[in-house]
Amino acid sequence: MDTKIRLRRYLQFVIKYNTVFIFLVMLVVSAIVSDVFFTTNNLFNLVRQVTPVGIISMGMLLVILTGGIDLSVGSIVAMVGVLCALFTQSMPLPLVIITSLVCGLMVGSVSGYLVSIHKLAPFIATLAIMSIVRGLGFIISKGAPVLVNENASALTDFGSGNSLGIPNPALILFLVFVITAVLLKYNIFGRIIIAIGSNEEAVRLSGIKVSAYKFSVYAIAGGLSAVAGIITTARTAVGSPVMGVGMELDVIAAVVIGGARLSGGKGTAINTLLGVMILGMIGNIMNLINIPAYSQQVIKGLIIIFAVLLQRFQANSN
Amino acid sequence: MVNRVELRNISKSFGGISALKNVTFKVMPGEIHALVGENGAGKSTLMKILSGAYTKDNGQIFIDDTEVNIKNTHDSKKLGIGIIYQEFSLVPELSVAENVFLNQLGRTGFWMKQGKLQKEAEILINSIGFSINPSSKAGDLSIAQQQIVEISKALSEHVRILILDEPSAVLGPQEIQKLFDTLDRLKKEGVAIIYISHHLSEIFQIADRVTVLKDGTSSESLHVSETDRDSIIRLMLGRSLEAMYPVRNSIIGEEVLRVVDIYQADKVRGVSFGLKAGEIVGIAGLVGSGRTETARAVFAADKREKGKIYLSGKELQIRSPREAVSKGIGMVPEDRKQHGVILSLSIKINISLTDFRGVSYHFGFIKAKKESNNAIELIRKLAIKTENENQEVGYLSGGNQQKVSLAKWLNRNCKVLIIDEPTRGVDVGAKVEIYNLINELSDKGVAIIVISSETAELMGTCDRILVMRKGQIQGELAKNEFSEEDILRMSIGAN
Ligand SMILES: Nc1ncnc2c1ncn2[C@@H]1O[C@H](COP(=O)(O)OP(=O)(O)OP(=O)(O)O)[C@@H](O)[C@H]1O
Ligand SMILES: [Mg+2]
Repeated sequence: MDTKIRLRRYLQFVIKYNTVFIFLVMLVVSAIVSDVFFTTNNLFNLVRQVTPVGIISMGMLLVILTGGIDLSVGSIVAMVGVLCALFTQSMPLPLVIITSLVCGLMVGSVSGYLVSIHKLAPFIATLAIMSIVRGLGFIISKGAPVLVNENASALTDFGSGNSLGIPNPALILFLVFVITAVLLKYNIFGRIIIAIGSNEEAVRLSGIKVSAYKFSVYAIAGGLSAVAGIITTARTAVGSPVMGVGMELDVIAAVVIGGARLSGGKGTAINTLLGVMILGMIGNIMNLINIPAYSQQVIKGLIIIFAVLLQRFQANSN
Repeated sequence: MVNRVELRNISKSFGGISALKNVTFKVMPGEIHALVGENGAGKSTLMKILSGAYTKDNGQIFIDDTEVNIKNTHDSKKLGIGIIYQEFSLVPELSVAENVFLNQLGRTGFWMKQGKLQKEAEILINSIGFSINPSSKAGDLSIAQQQIVEISKALSEHVRILILDEPSAVLGPQEIQKLFDTLDRLKKEGVAIIYISHHLSEIFQIADRVTVLKDGTSSESLHVSETDRDSIIRLMLGRSLEAMYPVRNSIIGEEVLRVVDIYQADKVRGVSFGLKAGEIVGIAGLVGSGRTETARAVFAADKREKGKIYLSGKELQIRSPREAVSKGIGMVPEDRKQHGVILSLSIKINISLTDFRGVSYHFGFIKAKKESNNAIELIRKLAIKTENENQEVGYLSGGNQQKVSLAKWLNRNCKVLIIDEPTRGVDVGAKVEIYNLINELSDKGVAIIVISSETAELMGTCDRILVMRKGQIQGELAKNEFSEEDILRMSIGAN
């Protein structure tokens, strides 16, 4: 009897902190199945791999918190990546970065405009933008990868370099994460985003300009996608129009594994970051132990189902 | 005669809070038994245990003297228990007919026979004295109509025990009368009826016995014929109430709001009125007379088609609630669950939503201490029954949710405050507190519009009453002309 209650309490604890739990299990499993997992080299690799998805996931989290979705993020990564590489051929580096960011923000703003002002369903609006922007990426690059100009070596150095012993892209991810977490927890902006996803009409009738907030989350998601695009280009020294194909699904999967509710109003930055890490580790560890890519996809899908089922239990046990 | 229902020593707690302590409650067949008590006393919780929506921690349930084990809503339905919940449970996207027969969809095979379904729904709704188009979407109906659909839904199956959790809160006087006729009929057929209400007059009108819940414990059941209003109030509150409507010495100032000939869809058709500082104006009328729509048009919650609104003599160009609020107009909406509060967020956050600038530094960073104190202050003022300000509003009792919906707007200094059904679902003690607060606001010079289906409430609190009918103002009564009869006469358009 006593042990039964205790067992139940453990179980409830696990269900409550399911994202943390899955993350820890993944760590342990990874350490057991591969002795290279915990090497600095591999960990840096892992962090570099997850950085683009991680950065965008924070923007996606904001969008999902309002009850929306953004399918265009992968296409923005590609288009901005291409643009960034092109810009290096004619502009000084600071301008390259600013212009690339503005491009991402603008694309996000178009989605935000369609969703908040014209009340298009987010899925439809961003599906269309995804297609348009992917096409634009190909048109701009004429279908071929664009090399980063040698004069812009500062960019590529940054992309592949470390500061404070940590890969630079990971530092940017960390920064984006901290800002998102602080906004969601201590700022009115985050408050209202969550409130909109919980009951939009009640927020509107409280005298809050719902459309402005909805607009801004898509703009932010676009901007963060641009950041991911620039980083990817910096790391690989090319901008390619085929970057980020299907990336939106990875980002959404990470946010969902992190326990956010797709209908809005529920989700945290830290859990989303864990979701990103979990997703990254699945890929990383399976590469280390040479599981073929096709099986990887199956296993990834299964883990997503498992994570979401755990959250279901959480909702029911309340 | 044996009891149809006997609840014996029922206990239930949520987390650390005990909502019911050893409650005993018996209902006989062919009896209307009223259940009353303060907000948060545990009425809804007790009924949800009987309907299987919650499971009890302790105690026994007997139906016709045999102990039963109700684990879920399905079990209770098999026992012939029908319930109309305090919070609506209709599917907004489905038609009225589909909602009425929701429990039985699929019984007649996989394909729905829409025609037959609608015909049957229509007959059922007519049989309780109403007419609602069975093919309209439930989400498009007014709250009163939704309640009628809820009642029809509960009656769509054969019930032996019928629970009504504050059914009259959203109905107008005429609809309530029709509901009572139906209940009387059911009672004669031998149904055991449990009736929850904060309107004590209703209890004397239809109930046979009454039981009071206070802080999760039950009183003896009293025969209604052997008790009176004051005794019930004393059992509920543990004290007696002096006056329901506090005296008001109105200090009425300059005109603040003037509404000229506004139109909105076919719900509001040429409404004009003025409102002065420190004045409380009531809008009476039947459900569907356009009261709520008028309020929403003034608050710019809906786009109006025609007409002008002036604030302190200047024409207002507002196109959204945000602009209305920034000009100093506030509105407590009629439908608290959909429009008033956010159930999944805390009391604190709900309250600061109307004035987040007041609780934040530059760049929107929240002054946590100030925000909490703000909320705690309002919780105290409105006597909201809760553990603390971080409690999710969805876990509060219905009446306490209503208080949060009101607290939100007390948090902001408005020049004009429109309150649509200020005391819906609120207990008698708290009603007086709310009237006091409304008076306090008007003393500070706030111009207030109160919309209410309770004529007595309007007569007790307002300086002037406008009566609406079919989207127009049918008449206006000054304080010395108030009479229940005149208001009713104007609202039904009789002369
Ligand atoms: N799901 C829940 N989780 C936590 N607490 C709850 C829950 N449901 C009810 N409570 C608490 O139990 C107590 C009794 O609530 P209940 O809804 O039964 O009150 P009530 O008598 O129906 O009040 P009202 O007249 O306002 O409808 C309240 O303190 C309420 O906050
Ligand atoms: Mg209740």
